[in-house]
Amino acid sequence: MTDATIPQPEAKKTSAVAEQPLMQVKNLAVSFDNGSGPRIQAVDGVMMTIYPRQTFAVVGESGCGKSVTAMSSMQLVPRPPGRFDRGEILFRRSNEDGGHVVNLLEMSESEMRSVRGNDIAMIFQEPMTSLNPVYTVGDQIVEAITLHRDATAKEAWQIGIDAMDDVGIPDPEGRMKAYPHQFSGGMRQRVMIAMALACRPRLLLADEPTTALDVTIQAQILELLKDLKAKRDMGMMLITHDLGVVAENADVVCVMYAGRVVEFANVYDLFDDPRHPYTRGLLASIPTIGHRRDRLVTIAEVVDNPEEFKKLPGADQGITPWWPWHEPPKDLKRRDEPAGDYVLRKVAKDHWVGVWRTEALADDNSPAPDLSFCVTDNPQ
Amino acid sequence: MARSTSQPDSVPALIAEKSSHARWTQIGKSGVIGIGFLAFMFALCLGSLPWTLGSAVGEDVPRYDEGDPKSGRLPPSWWVYDEQDIARSRAAVDSEVYQQIADEYNISLEETLDSTKGPAAEAGAAHWPRFLLGSDQLGRSLGVRLLAGGGISLGIGIAAAMISVGIGTIYGAIAAYMGGAVDSVMMRVVDVLYGLPYILLVVLLAVASNAKVDEYISQSRAKEKWIQKQAIVMLEQSSTQPVTKRDAREYLAGNSAYREELFVQATQKYPPREISKPMRTFLDVATLLIAIGGVSWLTMARVIRGQVLSLKNQQFVESARAVGASGRRVFVRHLLPNLIGPIVVYATLAVPQAILQESFLSFLGIGVKPPLPSWGNLAAEGLSELNTFRSHWWLLLFPCLLLGMTLLAMNFVGEGLREAFDPKRSR
Repeated sequence: MTDATIPQPEAKKTSAVAEQPLMQVKNLAVSFDNGSGPRIQAVDGVMMTIYPRQTFAVVGESGCGKSVTAMSSMQLVPRPPGRFDRGEILFRRSNEDGGHVVNLLEMSESEMRSVRGNDIAMIFQEPMTSLNPVYTVGDQIVEAITLHRDATAKEAWQIGIDAMDDVGIPDPEGRMKAYPHQFSGGMRQRVMIAMALACRPRLLLADEPTTALDVTIQAQILELLKDLKAKRDMGMMLITHDLGVVAENADVVCVMYAGRVVEFANVYDLFDDPRHPYTRGLLASIPTIGHRRDRLVTIAEVVDNPEEFKKLPGADQGITPWWPWHEPPKDLKRRDEPAGDYVLRKVAKDHWVGVWRTEALADDNSPAPDLSFCVTDNPQ
Repeated sequence: MARSTSQPDSVPALIAEKSSHARWTQIGKSGVIGIGFLAFMFALCLGSLPWTLGSAVGEDVPRYDEGDPKSGRLPPSWWVYDEQDIARSRAAVDSEVYQQIADEYNISLEETLDSTKGPAAEAGAAHWPRFLLGSDQLGRSLGVRLLAGGGISLGIGIAAAMISVGIGTIYGAIAAYMGGAVDSVMMRVVDVLYGLPYILLVVLLAVASNAKVDEYISQSRAKEKWIQKQAIVMLEQSSTQPVTKRDAREYLAGNSAYREELFVQATQKYPPREISKPMRTFLDVATLLIAIGGVSWLTMARVIRGQVLSLKNQQFVESARAVGASGRRVFVRHLLPNLIGPIVVYATLAVPQAILQESFLSFLGIGVKPPLPSWGNLAAEGLSELNTFRSHWWLLLFPCLLLGMTLLAMNFVGEGLREAFDPKRSR
């Protein structure tokens, strides 16, 4: 396996490609109807920017809003009970003439259908259930192709075979005629990737693509995704809660908690110098092989320590990391809008942290964090 | 790495060749036997319908209703006759025939009638009425009645099951797929219909459709219209003001003699429509199957709704939406094919259920009216003929045997189909 930190010579030449953002999420707020109780704010003021050729990792625990963010950009959030409260998701559908940028949240269902699978594709966590059991995988890949391409059945079949070949499935011609249950989990995930990539999307949303697979297959799938991403100038949003996967594959990392972004940085900065106590707790709780300890550090140990929250530069001016379980600071200047008590503030070069909107930040209108960083261009 | 495409020759195609699209071929042995039996039954019963419903030359009675009470309750011709059977068989033969035999063998008529052995007895027995499957209390051939009844029972069973499966699948699937308020309203409608006694619904449907048929035959609506028009024309001659329909109605109500006169003219102008007997039978049966089908889709709708609800949350539905498939496409291409299993199973259960309901309704006098037979009411008649002195077993056994074997065959076919359409089971 190629190590992520080893520069790939041919990738270096194309570094000029990554100049305009592929997708930009601005102040996204999504809530769900809870029946009797108050609405659940699943995503609250999320901001992120993804560039072509970039692997953009979204990390966080279950229920922090990672998947809802990805689903929102394809309008796959069920509505009702879901609702887009605020914000926009801008997506560049082409590069010609300065680009054709659309707001994905404002598109009609039929316009959206032309985006899904075509410009943006998605692969899911569960390869076991992501394929329809009553059709052959060939039928399903061909369906994905014919929905977006003006291809005859024969041409689509050939494209399907090529796609299966691209993801490393042996004997693609024969395997096209096999049913999903005749594949192993790893092979099924390859089929899902083939299906997602058959129409050559500009952005791939990988929602925990390797969670259900064992580690060796995980490594293969991630290597494959990295490979295909580089070949096709594709952006990839990698949703995961595995920090090892992030360290190996990501270019930019966005840590989420309780529906908000708590930290946003390039992969080196995030792992070398985490600024938010939650991120520190997250990293500290990873066991290290060869480093014997009786007990592991828990996230709670870190975030329950008030000293941890005073380490941020500017703490003396009242800039403290946002944390939903804390009492807001006394000089909080809440704005009358979703996530009005919070600012995603740039604390260093290429490094953003979610902080309370205190007196000092009352007029802060930070734009969405914007980082065209790519590991292959910046080997370390 | 992890690319093994470089040596395609070393990787055998494993199973891919065997999984073809021709799933019909994977139906299994018992399924084939079931299909064979059903096909035979259908061909026999439905194919013979024109003959059984038709009547013999010079007769007005259809063949299924043809019989002489004198030769009633005779066992199948290949069965051992006891004294009573022999006595009744003899009684069914014209006395002239026995007279001829007596003359021929030069013995008295009494001797001929009493003889149980010998050529005279055999000559007499040759004239006995013979029924392959016995006869019922009115001397009608059970075999012919089973053929006619089979056509009617199978027709009603299949058609009612198709109606119920069709409505139930579409209704239940739409309710579950739409979800939310639409689902709630649609399923509450089902609950309300469930709550009503289904006999009431069937009677209502049957009465309503019967009224439509009656209206068609007597042309009563056309007559009424014509009478009203005539009255308006008549009134307009004597009045300067425009005459409304209401005026005409009031005038007709107060002037019954004039109305009668017009009615006679109207009946001449619109004579009762001719409707053939088979057509009338067909309409009765059609009414019945619409009534049964229209009531029994409720269970189907619930079953399918439950299935779709669980399928809808499967990841493959989400992933179909994620590649850009429209809601309709997801529904038709991804949900419905996954429903084949429950649909087929339910359909094979719905057919016998419809046949049984038909016999029950026939018993109440709503459905198939005697003398028209069906397997259900033949069995019911057979049961009432069963008593401790004389069993008349054939009247119960044969209808039940045919019904049972047909239903068993249907279950075999259902099971075979379900297996054939489930890719995981095929090898």
